[in-house]
Amino acid sequence: MRLRAVRIITKREYLARIRSKAFWISTIALPVMMAAWSILPGLMIAKTKARQHLAVVDATGRIAGPLTKKLEEWSERTAQQVSFEIEVLETGPDRETQRAELDKRVLEDEIAAWLWIDQELLDEDRVEYHAESVANIITQETLASALSAVVREVRLQEAGYDAEAIAELSRSIDLQTVRLSEEGSREEGGLGGLALAFGLFMMLYMTTLIYGQQVMHGVLEEKSSRVVEVVLSAAQPIELMAGKLIGICLIGLTQLGIWLGTAAVLTAPGFVAAMAFMPEGVTLPTISLPLVIHFLLLFLLGYFFYATFYAMIGSAFDNVQDAQQMAGVGIIFVVLPWIFFIPVLNDPDSTLAVVTSLIPVFTPFLMMLRIAVKMPPAWQIALGYLLTFALCVGMIWLCARVYRTGILMYGKKPTFKELWRWMRYT
Amino acid sequence: MNPPTTPSLELQEVRKSYGDFVAVDGISLEVLPGSIFGLLGPNGAGKTTTLRMIMNIIAPDAGVVLFFGRPRTAKDLERVGYLPEERGLYRKMTVTDQLTFLAELHGLKRRQALPAIETWLEKVGLAEWAKKKVDELSKGMQQKIQLVGTVLHEPDLLILDEPFSGLDPINQALFKDLLGEYKEQGKTVVLSTHVMEQAEKLCDHICLISQGRAILEGELTAIKRELGGNSFRLVAEGELGRLDDLPGVEQVVPHNGVVKLLLHPEARGSEVLKEIVQFLTVHEFRSEEPELEEIFIKAVRDASESR
Repeated sequence: MRLRAVRIITKREYLARIRSKAFWISTIALPVMMAAWSILPGLMIAKTKARQHLAVVDATGRIAGPLTKKLEEWSERTAQQVSFEIEVLETGPDRETQRAELDKRVLEDEIAAWLWIDQELLDEDRVEYHAESVANIITQETLASALSAVVREVRLQEAGYDAEAIAELSRSIDLQTVRLSEEGSREEGGLGGLALAFGLFMMLYMTTLIYGQQVMHGVLEEKSSRVVEVVLSAAQPIELMAGKLIGICLIGLTQLGIWLGTAAVLTAPGFVAAMAFMPEGVTLPTISLPLVIHFLLLFLLGYFFYATFYAMIGSAFDNVQDAQQMAGVGIIFVVLPWIFFIPVLNDPDSTLAVVTSLIPVFTPFLMMLRIAVKMPPAWQIALGYLLTFALCVGMIWLCARVYRTGILMYGKKPTFKELWRWMRYT
Repeated sequence: MNPPTTPSLELQEVRKSYGDFVAVDGISLEVLPGSIFGLLGPNGAGKTTTLRMIMNIIAPDAGVVLFFGRPRTAKDLERVGYLPEERGLYRKMTVTDQLTFLAELHGLKRRQALPAIETWLEKVGLAEWAKKKVDELSKGMQQKIQLVGTVLHEPDLLILDEPFSGLDPINQALFKDLLGEYKEQGKTVVLSTHVMEQAEKLCDHICLISQGRAILEGELTAIKRELGGNSFRLVAEGELGRLDDLPGVEQVVPHNGVVKLLLHPEARGSEVLKEIVQFLTVHEFRSEEPELEEIFIKAVRDASESR
């Protein structure tokens, strides 16, 4: 293999792709899609933050007042998803008439919902909530916890405890999540950590597949345009294959670089503060250097496995349809990591997680997930890398053999038997 | 029999089979510098397989290929230009980028390649197309670009597989002129074709292959002399029937008032003519060169009969 030839072919592959519109479209479109995916639901929830008009009928006369105060307090203190405008009503002369009237006001969208509080219900630890939609979980949970707190305080006061002491003693507790790792612990939002793990997993998964497929299409294109033998007049098959694999790999790294760079800027503390679009209580995870290094190494391993697999298929067939059919076999490797996604995420130290993340085909994705969630023991990472690397070397060797024979085959679909013969043929 | 110069290309008992099918069955040949060597044969004779083995695109099962007297190395690719039968270009690349890529692969530096590309595009009349994408070029233009890609690095040995297929007569003439120039520079051309007329006009050495075997090899003029036999063309009036009885005449083939006389190899035309003028009024009598096509068909037939 002559490095000069490999370099020239690599350069061609890289330039041909970096100059294509498709590259820039996918570079921009993918993060936009992912952002839309993750930010839109948040934005939509935030939109419901508009004050909800709530009517409260308090037959006891002791709850409505403190409840209004409590909800106001909460709304000021934290970025609660919902805030309420409370209208406290006296109990009317006729219970049923009043309830019917309130229902009417809800249906006419005058109020969002109404609460009914009376002693009878309270004794059963219940308060009625009437609304058009009872699926508004955030509203209901906020109300439920505010009510619980208020009722608890009232009951304690009535039992003779001092109001100030109650306030002092019944402060609630926030879970402060601290992520431990070899480089020391740092505070991190649980939600942010999850987003990071998911984001890295997705990014790795998509780029590996997209670029693996690009290798296949590249090989097929060279075959169908009959350019391959022209190139072989000046280069050996192994040089052509290596140049193509490296060229497309560099394109992948370029794209990842653009994304990671953008992500680093966007998640930089100053920028986030300026944007102020993150919901409060979610601390953005910082993307650490070791994480980036693992990510890139795993990309390389994953890429070379899938790319050689696809290069082999591309060389063995001479049209996209036949090749896609065969590539379907490869989908199995690609779908399985998803099945293990949730179990690994939930318990990154479980035997299942350890075993699956050490299976070379899955290592790039599942090890990434584990590293993002909780740094696995060094020996596991090392073993995963080693096994996957060995598999890649084997694949490259196998691919070189099939490729050499396959790229000059036109007109007939090879059988598995023939592929096997190509692999053994020296 | 040792030639004074090292052959540019030498094949020794090269053999290739696919399963039970023997594509190339022990071909040996020598191509001397400064010659145009034609590899001729019907479709499926093994020409492309032979050329691919020369380029090591296919590994021979047995036999040796020598470039410039040595076993070939990857470095030799820089002294060789190969135009495959299955040829194409990257569709989305511009002509200049494409040619620069091929030139660089052949060992040229970018700054050497660019002026060479300009010169060659001028030569084949495609200078205005330099910045266009290959997609926009016609088939014939692409063929010319492919040839330019093969010769940019000024190879000492040019190997062309069916170089004229798909070319119009004007471009065929252009290609022939270019090959002639090449030969004059002392460089070597090996080409394959199944069109005998082209080979006849261009080549000075030929090798006929049929069913994977070389059935005839040598200098074209020598082959013609040898296999053309003793053939004469006669236009005459009189009792043509008596020609059969003349001593030294083996065969008489009348055709449209012209008679073709095949003489015994030992017989001399002038002696026979003396006899003929005794009873015929002769308008024309001359020695006739056989066409390569005839030789080819006869050789292929003889070879398959002797199997």
